[in-house]
Amino acid sequence: MNYAMVRRLIWKDWYLQRWAILGSLVGVVATLGIIATGAKVAFLIGLILLIMVIISIGAQMAVATIVTERKEQTLPFVMSLPISYREYTASKIWGNLIIFLVPWVTMVLGSFGLLLLSPSSRGLLPYTAIMSTEILLSTCLILAVALITESQGWTVVAIMVGNLAVNGIGYVVAHIPGIAKEMWGSTIQWSGAASALLLAEFAIVVLLLGVTFLVQSKKKDFL
Amino acid sequence: MNDLSVHFEGVSKIYPHFALDDLSLELPTGTIMGLIGANGAGKSTTIRILMGLVHQNQGRVHVLGREMPREQAAAKLDIGFVSEDTRLYGSATLAWHMKFIRSIYPQWDQPYAEKLLRRFDLKPQQKIKGLSHGQRVKAALLLALARRPRLLVLDEPTTGLDPVARQEVLGELMAVLADEDRTILFSSHNTLDVEQISDQITFIDRGRIIASDNKEIFLDRWRRLRLVLSPEADLPSLPGVVEVGGSGRLPVLVTNRFDPAMVSACNDAGATVQAVDPMTLEEIFVANVHSRREKQTV
Repeated sequence: MNYAMVRRLIWKDWYLQRWAILGSLVGVVATLGIIATGAKVAFLIGLILLIMVIISIGAQMAVATIVTERKEQTLPFVMSLPISYREYTASKIWGNLIIFLVPWVTMVLGSFGLLLLSPSSRGLLPYTAIMSTEILLSTCLILAVALITESQGWTVVAIMVGNLAVNGIGYVVAHIPGIAKEMWGSTIQWSGAASALLLAEFAIVVLLLGVTFLVQSKKKDFL
Repeated sequence: MNDLSVHFEGVSKIYPHFALDDLSLELPTGTIMGLIGANGAGKSTTIRILMGLVHQNQGRVHVLGREMPREQAAAKLDIGFVSEDTRLYGSATLAWHMKFIRSIYPQWDQPYAEKLLRRFDLKPQQKIKGLSHGQRVKAALLLALARRPRLLVLDEPTTGLDPVARQEVLGELMAVLADEDRTILFSSHNTLDVEQISDQITFIDRGRIIASDNKEIFLDRWRRLRLVLSPEADLPSLPGVVEVGGSGRLPVLVTNRFDPAMVSACNDAGATVQAVDPMTLEEIFVANVHSRREKQTV
């Protein structure tokens, strides 16, 4: 693996997507600011906007750096460079992940900070962690589908599934007894269910990206 | 001069509706090969296999001594590739593209890149999306040439260019030839472009190489003979006749093995040779394709 080339390709995507990354960061900070005002309506609006910004940036990156690269025929230019498809795939996985992690980590740290500053809401921290990781998982699913299919149609389907999953899983997790019981308390309680869920989500993220890399490595035709 | 920059041995690639069949090709270092074929003949597939972007089902491919597709990354360090369907990043400037390519290729030649900027009348600070099609092709060519590749692979680079841009592109390619260690594979369905710059010609049709030879040999050996037959004479049997046209007493023959002695042989057989016409590469290509397709049909 030519890591220097992988790094250059990641920097290329960072440069080309710099305004979207900056926009998402501003969006995350702004929505966290809305949530921090403390008003109930502002909290709800801020939360919805925050989830929207985070999901959008993940989907936007996958579409812009993978699907559009094929659609707008910049892929032959990239593939004419001294790289193999493994290196191309590695750059896309790491590049998208790192780009996404910038607003995501900001969101997670900001949310945790707000919860810790508000003693009555601290019980929400495990739920917030699980749902934040679910958003990361959804983004990885979109990334995997975009890379493997290189199809705009399938990527849109993955974006829709990812969006629905956030809502569906959010509802289900909030009703798991081990989590629901402590959710509205003022202390942070990591139940076995919450820990297991979080671990399972991270395991699926690793599995999803690993399988994507493996499938891509076996591809025979790239153009 | 004697080593091969590109070597295909029995290469096949099968798609549901198209197959590249048992393709063998040799491109000696320092030569310019024109790959001519109709749309869908297999030129782009051949080039994609050469670049390691499509894996062959059978056969072996070596490019600059590297086995493809396994060693494609190392091989591509010495290859400049421009294809008709290559696009640069619209939101970035040409200067950014040049900086990006320069960071990858240690042999990048900045003075030469600046010379090409002037020659092609390109402005480095202009965004790619603001360039015309001709300027985009020239920009892609600049990025490929300034990295000083040992092998230049051009897949239909002149398609869609206006006559002035086409001549500029071809002119620069001819200037590149000054370096005799540089090898060029140039695919096109425009035989005029290929005729201008190539010294080796390969015709491809329906996934098969139907002829491959030195350009001068093609132009010397292919002739159209216009005959007048005397009433009692039959059509003389001549070597290499691939096409018989014209009408009864005024046949027109196309041969791929012309020899001046054919004229006297015709006269001896009672046929007067009215004219021996040289053929353009396009006429040779079309006659070659028709002849092969007829043989396949039979």
